[in-house]
Amino acid sequence: MIELIHVEKYFKKPIRGKGVWGMVKTLFSTKHTLVKAVDDISFTVNDGESVGYIGANGAGKSTTIKMMSGILTPTSGEILIDGKHPYKSKERNAVLKTIGVVFGQKTQLWYDLPLTETYDLLRYIYDIPEQDYRKRLGELVELLDMKPFLDAPVRTLSLGQRMRADLAAAMLHNPKTLFLDEPTIGLDVLVKRNLIDAINKLRDEYNTSLILTTHAMSDIELLCKRVIILDEGKILFDGSLDEVKHMFGDKRNITIQTVAPIDPAAATDKYPIDGVASEGDGLLTTFTVDAQKVKIDVVLDFLLKTYDVSDVKLSETGIEQVVEKIYERNKAAQPQSDSAQDDIPTEREDG
Amino acid sequence: MLKELKLYPKYVSMSLRSALSYKADSIIMMISFAVSEIVSLATIYLIVGTVPTLGVWTFETLAFLFGFTLVPKAIDHIFTDELWILAYRAVRRGDLDIYMTRPLNPLFQYIARTFKWDGLGEFAVGIVIMCIFAPQAGIAWTASGIIGLILCAALGVFCFTGIKLLFASLAFWVKNAGIFLNTVYDLSNYAKYPVRYMGKAFASIMFFVIPFGLFLYYPVECLITSANIWWSVLWSAIAALALMVLSLTVWHIGISRYESAGN
Repeated sequence: MIELIHVEKYFKKPIRGKGVWGMVKTLFSTKHTLVKAVDDISFTVNDGESVGYIGANGAGKSTTIKMMSGILTPTSGEILIDGKHPYKSKERNAVLKTIGVVFGQKTQLWYDLPLTETYDLLRYIYDIPEQDYRKRLGELVELLDMKPFLDAPVRTLSLGQRMRADLAAAMLHNPKTLFLDEPTIGLDVLVKRNLIDAINKLRDEYNTSLILTTHAMSDIELLCKRVIILDEGKILFDGSLDEVKHMFGDKRNITIQTVAPIDPAAATDKYPIDGVASEGDGLLTTFTVDAQKVKIDVVLDFLLKTYDVSDVKLSETGIEQVVEKIYERNKAAQPQSDSAQDDIPTEREDG
Repeated sequence: MLKELKLYPKYVSMSLRSALSYKADSIIMMISFAVSEIVSLATIYLIVGTVPTLGVWTFETLAFLFGFTLVPKAIDHIFTDELWILAYRAVRRGDLDIYMTRPLNPLFQYIARTFKWDGLGEFAVGIVIMCIFAPQAGIAWTASGIIGLILCAALGVFCFTGIKLLFASLAFWVKNAGIFLNTVYDLSNYAKYPVRYMGKAFASIMFFVIPFGLFLYYPVECLITSANIWWSVLWSAIAALALMVLSLTVWHIGISRYESAGN
């Protein structure tokens, strides 16, 4: 079980002056801005749960994951993994044996050596018995389809291969929890899909808890049942994926391309349509429809009959729009007052 | 600690095999380190030829001192070269992340990953110079003197490592501590000359603040002036202990305020 209790993390950033003289002044100045990367966060993750941690850039996702995996020490509050603190030097070794970590932008693999060399080193670092290690590695190689590049130096691997290899490295010691910080970053659609399938397979096979941050909201839909949405270091939403969808409806986008600009009123008058947007001089029109209120095929049929349609595209709205909605809703609920709070420099003198 | 000792040979072998993919690079580095040290010894020869002799310090004794200073420096270079990267960019780029998520001392993992075998060139030059000039330096060789000198060299390695770790760890505060480390490290070159004659203020710094004079110069001075070398062993031990405690403390404070790098 992972518990976060009123966790805060501040970073000090020196206030930089302009120009050369400003740079010199910065060197001797103790003035700094206090950036609240994580601002009073509490939640609990039970064993076997999968949690998606999402938010815009700089919302504090990576900072939270780094505190949970022993890299950063919280400014205040407590993080407990099965009752122990990952960032305290006396307790960290016990905690770190039970977790695995993958960073999309960093690799823990030995750059100039074949993969098996790094895995062998990890066997010693995590005290994995020889037999367990062989069995486990065999399974992972099979599951992640790593046989073709097992003996090639890491520097020759493609990004997709390297991510799978890093995933295997993090799973070798059978961790209870796997932390993934933007694992799909930079991967193309097909490779990304394969990686997500692989992560799902690993989780089902070994019953590992999963805590994952990502920009790609579609990843979360495929990997997690629970979602935590962060903004400016605070939790905006913590609940099930179904709940999010239910709360904001099950929206679909129908985009039609027409030969001449159309008047969407004919459709909006007849059916409960949530939104209309047009692009490309009115030739591309997108109707947003709630699938729970009206049947998609009925609307589509009507559109095709009414307008001179040359092309059609159907898409799910996905979490992106949901997150946007939450942001909008929260901003509307508390206008201005504290949204700018983090930008105000807190000037302090440090002795 | 036991686990780290057991794992170290594994790290060395991995590092060596990594370096083998860039074999020519390592050999060139080894030769260039050796050549640059030989050139600086030649410089000393030229200087000594034009300057009147300072007490016991002839070219032979200076050359012996020069050779001795290379030994602890080279050994430290072989084992802890990665500290330079810590000073210059590891903290700024968040490279320490991967070591901190594993159940093994992060400092050990960080230092152990590089075994710089090209430092052997420097080491060999130091030993050869010492062997050539030992008979000519007017030293009354005794077993006690030799053991004392070897102990001083060994303690000197810890002093070097301590100084490097101390100044590299400043990177946790200033992000790029390379320039500090570089400046301090360069001071070690002055210990190749009779520090005692360099003026009171500077000599005090070299003995008691950044003690290169204490653990590099002083042991050789003891030998050449037939003073008791065990005093210098004691001083080197004190310096090594103090530097290790101080630098490890600074590292520990530093790593707890490590900020990683944003994604």
